Amino acid sequence: MSSARVVWIALLGLILGFAAGLGYSWGISPLKYVDTSPASLRSDYKERYRALVAAAYQADGSLVRARARLALIDGGDSASALAAQAQRSLAVGDDPRQAQALAALSAALIASPASPAATPTMTPSPTLGARVSPSPIPTASPTTSPTSAPPTVIQVTPFPSVTPTPAPGAPFVLKSSTQVCDPKLGGPLIQVQVTGADGKPVPGIRVDVAWDGGEDFFYTGLKPDVNLGYADFAMTPGVSYTLRLADGGQPVRGLAAIDCKTTDGSSYPGGWLLTFTPP
Amino acid sequence: MSRRVIVFLLALAAGVGLGLLYGWVINPVQFVDTSPDSLRPDYKTDYVLMVAEAYAANGDLAWAARQLEDVGGSPLLVAQQAVLQAQKMGYAATDLQNLARLAMALQTRTPVPLGTP
Repeated sequence: MSSARVVWIALLGLILGFAAGLGYSWGISPLKYVDTSPASLRSDYKERYRALVAAAYQADGSLVRARARLALIDGGDSASALAAQAQRSLAVGDDPRQAQALAALSAALIASPASPAATPTMTPSPTLGARVSPSPIPTASPTTSPTSAPPTVIQVTPFPSVTPTPAPGAPFVLKSSTQVCDPKLGGPLIQVQVTGADGKPVPGIRVDVAWDGGEDFFYTGLKPDVNLGYADFAMTPGVSYTLRLADGGQPVRGLAAIDCKTTDGSSYPGGWLLTFTPP
Repeated sequence: MSRRVIVFLLALAAGVGLGLLYGWVINPVQFVDTSPDSLRPDYKTDYVLMVAEAYAANGDLAWAARQLEDVGGSPLLVAQQAVLQAQKMGYAATDLQNLARLAMALQTRTPVPLGTP
């Protein structure tokens, strides 16, 4: 038998073998996805998974368990993924409770970082241990955020027209309001900072804002890169806003973009920083 | 057996071997974009447990049923299977209670087929 003929026969065998393999794997016994892990879920299912983890965390308060579950899909930075999803959830008009739950879990993860020894395994355990008290509930803010913490205040001017009296029983009252001129913010913002009696930022405080022809709300805590008690809202120049904390606080009226000037004399709109503390 | 047949069979086996090497070692299957119904049973059970925990707090059975539809099959069946799997895996009593409550609530909600007279 000539060597050329042997090569052709071998080639034919290879091709037929390959075809047989394909026929078996595609036709007779096609691939079925079974026994997969949450890490392989499609992105929209991962978002539902995160929302479920957050809902379960709200119910049972177990941060250990929530962290273990999130590690199955996010690996490391679950807090950022949760905060981003919370903002998306608000933006598309999902149930606000979902955004609130996502942000609460995000804030809790940031407030209580995992120790290396507590790194969860990749298999969920039905007895994932210690129950941790739920953290205060934070949530969403619909605007873009400044990139550093705390909020930058370039120019500070007392705000003469805003001197509300504390509402009886209100958990937070306006402590100060300052004008903010900072071109790096990218536009005029109402920045809200809520601080507790212990001086720590308080996440999960709903902030209602209204203007002629519209209203919106947002929550502190959804921009953990600034701090957990921070939230902001993008103002439209020329529009006057009224803001109040949802928990019975006095309204802060007349918030409008201010006129700021750069060093070369050109003008740009600035915003406000409102600080709330317990009375 | 002629030499041709031997060469052919050897080549055929080599082809299959190369295919397996490529499929299992060089470029193995990557599981991506899967859905919750393909999850391993223990992950699936934990998924149902999350729904059960949330249901225990919010009491929203319609919401819980919608979440379970992602897992495949009827929500009631999914919840019942989760209860069985959780028992097998030795889940904590609280978790078993949550799963059982969800299954029972779904049972009440699901229309029961009428038996033959």
